[in-house]
Amino acid sequence: MYDPQATRLVETALRCYPARWRRRHGDEAAVLAALLIRDGTPAGSIALSYLAGAARAWLTPRPGRPLSTVACALLVAACSLGVSAGLLAPAASARAASTSQAHGSTHCRPGSPAPVPGVIPAMGRPQVIIWEARHGRSC
Amino acid sequence: MAASRRDSRVGQDVLRRVGEASVLILISLAGGPKHGYALIQDIKELADVELGPGTLYGALDRLERLGLIEPLPADDRRHPYRITAPGAAALRVHLDSLERVSAAGRLRLQLGGI
Repeated sequence: MYDPQATRLVETALRCYPARWRRRHGDEAAVLAALLIRDGTPAGSIALSYLAGAARAWLTPRPGRPLSTVACALLVAACSLGVSAGLLAPAASARAASTSQAHGSTHCRPGSPAPVPGVIPAMGRPQVIIWEARHGRSC
Repeated sequence: MAASRRDSRVGQDVLRRVGEASVLILISLAGGPKHGYALIQDIKELADVELGPGTLYGALDRLERLGLIEPLPADDRRHPYRITAPGAAALRVHLDSLERVSAAGRLRLQLGGI
């Protein structure tokens, strides 16, 4: 039974493999997927298996490609993730600040005990306690 | 150089770290050359394990890199694989090791009266 949607899903997953892998196994992998789909295996699970295999194929160092290349690729990926997180973090904190201003002094939790000026009750928030003590504020 | 490295590993259980899928593939190929689909069917029958196609190709690549299996000329669009002599030797060592562990486990269960 030919299901174009299932075939497209598997082909998309197969495109995630490195070119050398596709040259070697691409045709056979597509035939194998068609046979498994015919036997009743869900196309989604086949595609997922190929996606996981593609990730492994990219990360596995092959002869001629030193481990440092793989390490560099991972480092670049990690750095780009870090940069994205760094760009997102100020925007998120600014949004959080504007929300708390809109709701008045909502950052003072109603259930929390009032701090005593000059005394640090917990090691977690020393700066907040000092600032509050200097301005004579308490929650 | 690869051959000398392989020789130095004779007697060692090189399959200890390759994962269950690779061992099952070697066991299946010990019964004769097979291509991907036949391997998946055979492993399902002999071990009740459904190998995903991505896992299969990953394991085939690893075993081929280790020189434990080799591809045969393609028939249609499918490559059959066969186990090599070092592959058969490695499988024998691994199965012996599993047998020893299994026997020790059974003995301990017996002694513990569990």
